[in-house]
Amino acid sequence: MSQKRLSRRTVLRGLGTAMSLPLLDAMLPLGRAAASAAPAPLRTMFFMVPNGAHMPAWTPATEGPNYTLAATMEPLAKHREYVSVFTGLTLDGARAHEDGAGDHARSGASFLTGSHPKKTKGADIKNSISVDQVAAQVVGAKTRFASLELGLEGSAQAGECDSGYSCAYSSNLAWRNESSPLAKETDPSAVFDRLFGNADNVGVGKSRAARIERRKSVLDFVQEDAKLLQKKLGIADQRKVEEYLYAVRDVENRMVNSDKLMLGEDGIPNFPRPAGVPRDWSEHCKLMLDMSAIAIRTDSTRVLTFMFANEGNNRGYPEIGAPESHHELSHHGKSEEKQAKVQKINLYHMQHFAYLLDHFANVEEAGGKLLDHCMIIYGSGISDGDRHNHDDLPIIMAGKAGGKIKKVSHWKFPNDTPLCNLYLWMLNQVGVKADSFGDSKGMLKFS
Amino acid sequence: MFNRHSIVQVCHLSAWTVRLRTVAILVTYSLVWSTMPRAQAIDWAARDKEFLEKIQPILKKACLECHSGAEADAGLALSNFKSSRAVLRERQTWEKVIQRLELQDMPPKNAEPLALDERKRLVDWLKSAMNDIDCGKTPNPGSVTLRRLNRTEYRNTVRDLLGVDYPAAAAFPGDDVGYGFDNIGDVLTLPPLLMEKYLNAAEEISRKAIMAPEPGPSFESIRKPADFTAGSAGSASGAKFSFYANGKIVIEEQLPWKGTYMLEMGLTGSPAAGEYPRMEVWFEDKKVKELGVKTDSHSAPKSFVVPLDVRVAGKRTITLAFTNDVTVKAKNGKPAEDRNIEIHDLKITGQKPSEAIPESKLTASHKRLVKSKPNATGSPEKMEAEVIRAATEVLSPIASKAYRRPASSQEVKRLAELVYDGMKLGDSYEAGLQSALQAILVSPSFLFKVEEPAPQIAGQFPLLSDFELATRLSYFLWSSMPDQELLVLATKKQLRDPVVLKQQIERMVKHKNSNAMVTNFAGQWLTLRKLDQLTPNANMFSEWNEEIRDLARRETYMFFAHILREDKSILRLLDADYSFMNDKLAKFYGIPGVDGEEFRMVSTKGRKRMGLLTHASILAVTSNPTRTSPVKRGKWVLENLLGTPPPPAPAGVPELDKAELTGTLRQRMEQHRENASCAACHKLMDPIGLALENYDAIGRWRTIDYGQPIDPSGELPGGEKVSGPGDLIRNLGGKNADKFVRCLTEKLLVYGLGRGLEYYDRCAIDKIEAKISKDDYKFSSLLFEIVSSDPFQRKGVRDEL
Repeated sequence: MSQKRLSRRTVLRGLGTAMSLPLLDAMLPLGRAAASAAPAPLRTMFFMVPNGAHMPAWTPATEGPNYTLAATMEPLAKHREYVSVFTGLTLDGARAHEDGAGDHARSGASFLTGSHPKKTKGADIKNSISVDQVAAQVVGAKTRFASLELGLEGSAQAGECDSGYSCAYSSNLAWRNESSPLAKETDPSAVFDRLFGNADNVGVGKSRAARIERRKSVLDFVQEDAKLLQKKLGIADQRKVEEYLYAVRDVENRMVNSDKLMLGEDGIPNFPRPAGVPRDWSEHCKLMLDMSAIAIRTDSTRVLTFMFANEGNNRGYPEIGAPESHHELSHHGKSEEKQAKVQKINLYHMQHFAYLLDHFANVEEAGGKLLDHCMIIYGSGISDGDRHNHDDLPIIMAGKAGGKIKKVSHWKFPNDTPLCNLYLWMLNQVGVKADSFGDSKGMLKFS
Repeated sequence: MFNRHSIVQVCHLSAWTVRLRTVAILVTYSLVWSTMPRAQAIDWAARDKEFLEKIQPILKKACLECHSGAEADAGLALSNFKSSRAVLRERQTWEKVIQRLELQDMPPKNAEPLALDERKRLVDWLKSAMNDIDCGKTPNPGSVTLRRLNRTEYRNTVRDLLGVDYPAAAAFPGDDVGYGFDNIGDVLTLPPLLMEKYLNAAEEISRKAIMAPEPGPSFESIRKPADFTAGSAGSASGAKFSFYANGKIVIEEQLPWKGTYMLEMGLTGSPAAGEYPRMEVWFEDKKVKELGVKTDSHSAPKSFVVPLDVRVAGKRTITLAFTNDVTVKAKNGKPAEDRNIEIHDLKITGQKPSEAIPESKLTASHKRLVKSKPNATGSPEKMEAEVIRAATEVLSPIASKAYRRPASSQEVKRLAELVYDGMKLGDSYEAGLQSALQAILVSPSFLFKVEEPAPQIAGQFPLLSDFELATRLSYFLWSSMPDQELLVLATKKQLRDPVVLKQQIERMVKHKNSNAMVTNFAGQWLTLRKLDQLTPNANMFSEWNEEIRDLARRETYMFFAHILREDKSILRLLDADYSFMNDKLAKFYGIPGVDGEEFRMVSTKGRKRMGLLTHASILAVTSNPTRTSPVKRGKWVLENLLGTPPPPAPAGVPELDKAELTGTLRQRMEQHRENASCAACHKLMDPIGLALENYDAIGRWRTIDYGQPIDPSGELPGGEKVSGPGDLIRNLGGKNADKFVRCLTEKLLVYGLGRGLEYYDRCAIDKIEAKISKDDYKFSSLLFEIVSSDPFQRKGVRDEL
């Protein structure tokens, strides 16, 4: 009995960007996946919005499980039973500590690391490993991508980004170690190609296995090259080659793990490949959120970070009546009009976040919905954009952490409680046996 | 909507940095370079004595009240400095201090005044301490961290190496920016995401450069484990097949051609008695492979691939045998164990060997690159030698160009072996060459501009090798690899001959590749890359659109290219009375008499336009979406033209809740400056920006704003009065010409070296400045002096203090 298959790749190309949710359901795991009835994995995700939030419209009026969603969180009403709100959390690393201006760069760099980045324009950038990467070290081997870094705005093109801080700080959330930020992908079609292989590159008559075989020999070859080169160089240069070697090994591991991706024989899900980056912000954002959803649904990764924009971002949102720069508006100087516009932008972002939660709430898996098996942080490393304060941060979590969160609530903590206390709790849920992370002072007590 | 904050906040994105080096780096470097003699001999003890006895008391009296400890104003804690070496180490900080002292705006007006003689003593000592580096001996030329090609350089290099354009490089993850440029070794990281893109790129580029015969038809047969039988040794359960005793499955397959096939299986197995199950794979009557199934039955299936060498086509048999079954009974509380294998999926794939491409169909790039082919006869050993010989001939020149130095015979041999390895897997010779080319394009020797450490000779910091110098030069002027002419000169070691170097710079500047210098250097220096993100409010500025934006940028690029290629004085960048435009742009400016869409040189005499600062591109990029920002414009001039960025505002914006400011923009800004803590830095920026108020937020000339006539006059920090934009520009290109020259020199040096500047670079910059002042500040002269300078020519150490 033998059956021949035709590649769907050529058919799939160029279908444009039409998106619809039901298509995801056609992407059911095939073959090997069906055999296993393993419990659904726990996913850890972080979504960052820049420039703080209009806090009066963010924080619920009352504490406890019966809280009412404040105006900015209205879009989450459908998913109220999954939303925990945290008040009083603080990012001490983002504070000046004698380094002067640069709150935006610092809060971006510190958001997932909890550390205080070194003030420098270029050479010797120094931060520390981020919470997502600590999680990825433990759960990453189980999926094709240890983690995915996504966003809507690439690294800045010119100039230093904030008061003497390198752009690396304000445009990257994930840090593999103190000096290696992980660049993010902003083009949905490129994400798609990474996840499922680019039709231009796959095959050309060669089977996937044959292609992987060639790639492996190329990678083996260049690793040898790099090791020889490393021996000849000075310390700083050796570090660069070390980074190169890490990247090579990481890509190699991904190829080894590729059969864990539960897809059809041609390795592409039944989802049209996006055509590129749409001009419209909302469309771009939704496509990137679609890609996030696909990556999670296909279990391509369990750790994901997503920046709605780089910290300190200056774009205006004329489509919702806020054409002025977001950053400039956030310095509202108590102007009611400006605060109202900031709130509009906050709401706009939140509507898009709700769009992602819609995806996850619609997926049934062993033991509930996909959203049950998530810990999704959404928030900012700045509270009020005018004061640039890093306490009383806007932070929420969607999902129930695989049942570890029994009841959602509005949790209020004494001000200056480290945000890293919450991260430490999350790390423990994914199996990281750590006593501390960043500037944590113990595990956050809630749930 | 306008209030004090929207003016203030710009300060917070201002550029001012304090460079600190980690102790770790200092330590490692002093270890690595411990054999190096110190370049200067300074009497540190005497210096410290002066600092403690004469200088610290003045600081204490005049500065430390605000500038000390954790809450220091502007984050500037001068109390932290305890020795003269500490001062020198943070030279840039103290250069700012000198600047503010000389401007007499520190200490602020409302503070205890600092007596003139004390002010002078402080400034004089600081200045002499700053010069505690002996330019007469051998100043440290600095050390550049291994630089990865950025995405522009990658694309250009691939184009010049192989004649293949790879526009997708633009979609590589953004290169991080340091010191204002995206080619800085320290910040160019290589995340796995980028490695993946490099691999994809290498595959695509190698296919475009070298043509491999179409692979023949492919064969794929998927067999369902549920259909397998093995007598009583196993059975299907669901979609998988389970072996629970020793036995075998026999699979028959009609194989359509001779060649190499792949048997691919997904297996799990459960170990018992400390041993994993084994599976033998037989093809016809020959055992091909024995597999150890190192998984347990609960984990995901593991992939196994076994190549099958099929000599004759036809119906053939594959046998899978389970050979080491065992069961262990439960004993002493240990559970029973059973060694089994499960087959989850199985397929057989193959590819028919390809047929050669006829000579007439080969592309020019293929013919240029693939100069040699193996003579296809003889024994496997002879064949191998032939392939290696031919591949070496092809790959040696490519690798040498790609690595920008002669590739070693060992390197080329390994590449040639890669070709043969591919052929053993069933690839054609050309497909093997593609694999080797991929290896070249992903090799660190290609992706990084490697500069190997060299020993010091006779107390001199070592020179770069000739190839390394050629590489620095070509990436500086071309953002691409050295061409044949440069490589030949490097081989002959002639590139350091000043006459030759001068000729080469001249040639390279005229070459079209130097467009890269315009877009990459000038584009970043003048912050024109930010134009794309600019969205002037469409209701207020309907004349601005993407077309005007692109034309305005083109104007500035052509203007810069003109000064560069026609070898004008760099001061003309500021005050040239001509520019470049076409009909549409001229109409936008209100300049008559320009017809047709092609750009040409246009005189701007009497047209309110003079040099860069009056270009719409720059005026727009320094404005807000709804109005001009004199603060941004002032700051832009200080940072990018004068090299004296204003200090940042204090940390934490003070809360202001007073009534909003009223009046014209100038009046509101003046009210804002009444606040002493704002005044210090706004006094530096505002007059410059206000002098440019006759240009609106998209750069059009105007005389009225908010219904009031514009008053562009003002007093610059040095006390000089300017009456308007023309006066300002004449001042910048006249009295401030030295600052501008130095600023452009520094920016070019950062860009050319790919590193930030250090205090010891001052010697080189002084020298460059002195030399070009004798040559009318000609652009070629500036480039020649930069390329001839020690930081560009030599390898130093990272830090000495």
